[in-house]
Amino acid sequence: MKTETEVRRALREWVIRTNGKIAADALTDRTPIIEQRIVTSLQITDLLLFLEELTGRAIDVEKLKPGIFRDIDAIYENFFGKADGV
Amino acid sequence: MASERSIDWNLLPGYRWHENGQSTFSGAPLKLYQKLDRLFLQWAGERGAAEHRFPTFIPARELDRLDYFRSFPHLVTFPVTLDPSKDNLAAFVRGAPLDDAGHLQLAASAPIADVLTPAACYHFYIQFQDERLAQPRYVTTRATCFRREDHYAPLQRQWSFSMREIVCLGTADEVKAFLAGGRATVEGFFKKIGLPIEWQNATDPFFEPARSSKYLMQKLDPVKIEMVFNGDLAIGSVNFHRNYFGEAFRITRAGADAYSGCIAFGVERWIFAFLTHFGTDEAGWPVLT
Repeated sequence: MKTETEVRRALREWVIRTNGKIAADALTDRTPIIEQRIVTSLQITDLLLFLEELTGRAIDVEKLKPGIFRDIDAIYENFFGKADGV
Repeated sequence: MASERSIDWNLLPGYRWHENGQSTFSGAPLKLYQKLDRLFLQWAGERGAAEHRFPTFIPARELDRLDYFRSFPHLVTFPVTLDPSKDNLAAFVRGAPLDDAGHLQLAASAPIADVLTPAACYHFYIQFQDERLAQPRYVTTRATCFRREDHYAPLQRQWSFSMREIVCLGTADEVKAFLAGGRATVEGFFKKIGLPIEWQNATDPFFEPARSSKYLMQKLDPVKIEMVFNGDLAIGSVNFHRNYFGEAFRITRAGADAYSGCIAFGVERWIFAFLTHFGTDEAGWPVLT
């Protein structure tokens, strides 16, 4: 079981690796990754797969709520925090 | 809404419906069309939007940059011409131009490299490609748009229809402020004239949405809000494109890919809403200013 710090670091690393252009210090847990298209529509399914790996659970796409991928804070809250968005 | 009038479109003076998904206007319905578009232009003018008039065809190569053909293959319409070789033209002339079903028998067709405009605002991103914007840019156009559908209905679902768009290109904040201001204006207008409209989050009509990552993205981060009449007819929409078009067409603002957004009005659908809600007698129509 990963700690919150480890999960957040893994998410940040995934975003930086997947985007390929953004500098590590330009990405915070509140950077709007969808609005700024740091994660694009082509990468969203990869993000879902990565989250399935991290959580160890299958994600039902139909049940996902708007805003769930707004930033790393939202992803953490919805997939790992109290407010389970899946 | 049950209170809306049901109209026999075949009997409406000044209006003619074509089974191939098109409308002809004259008389009072044409006057309404023109008044509505003048109203949209007035709203565009209030935002300092410069009017443009674009041609009908868009090079397929430009739309391909947007992955348009994979996203909307079911909607696209192409201009087709005969293969210009003398033999082919001669064969076409010798044969029957139409078969019994009324379908053209083209012999061979020439390669197709253009598309009939599917949405008015695409023209702007193509027009402004490679530009560095020193300030936000506000523009407007009305275009005849073409979207192939599996069925058509008078004024509500047409193969060719008129779309007026007001567009902003700028930073994310500039575009968001433009969209919020535009929505407030339109919302105020609906209230003033008493047209019942609900604002609903929506997605674009992607092909096979269940398999479309763009559809999924729009569900997860809504960027399209529609003005819905009668529970199911979107007569317009407010759209935030993020920096999608800026990136695809290398348009920059403040050192980064430009953001863009548009407010779109489907003129025929507005006419439908007006006629069914306020009646076909122009004396009953609200003042359009």
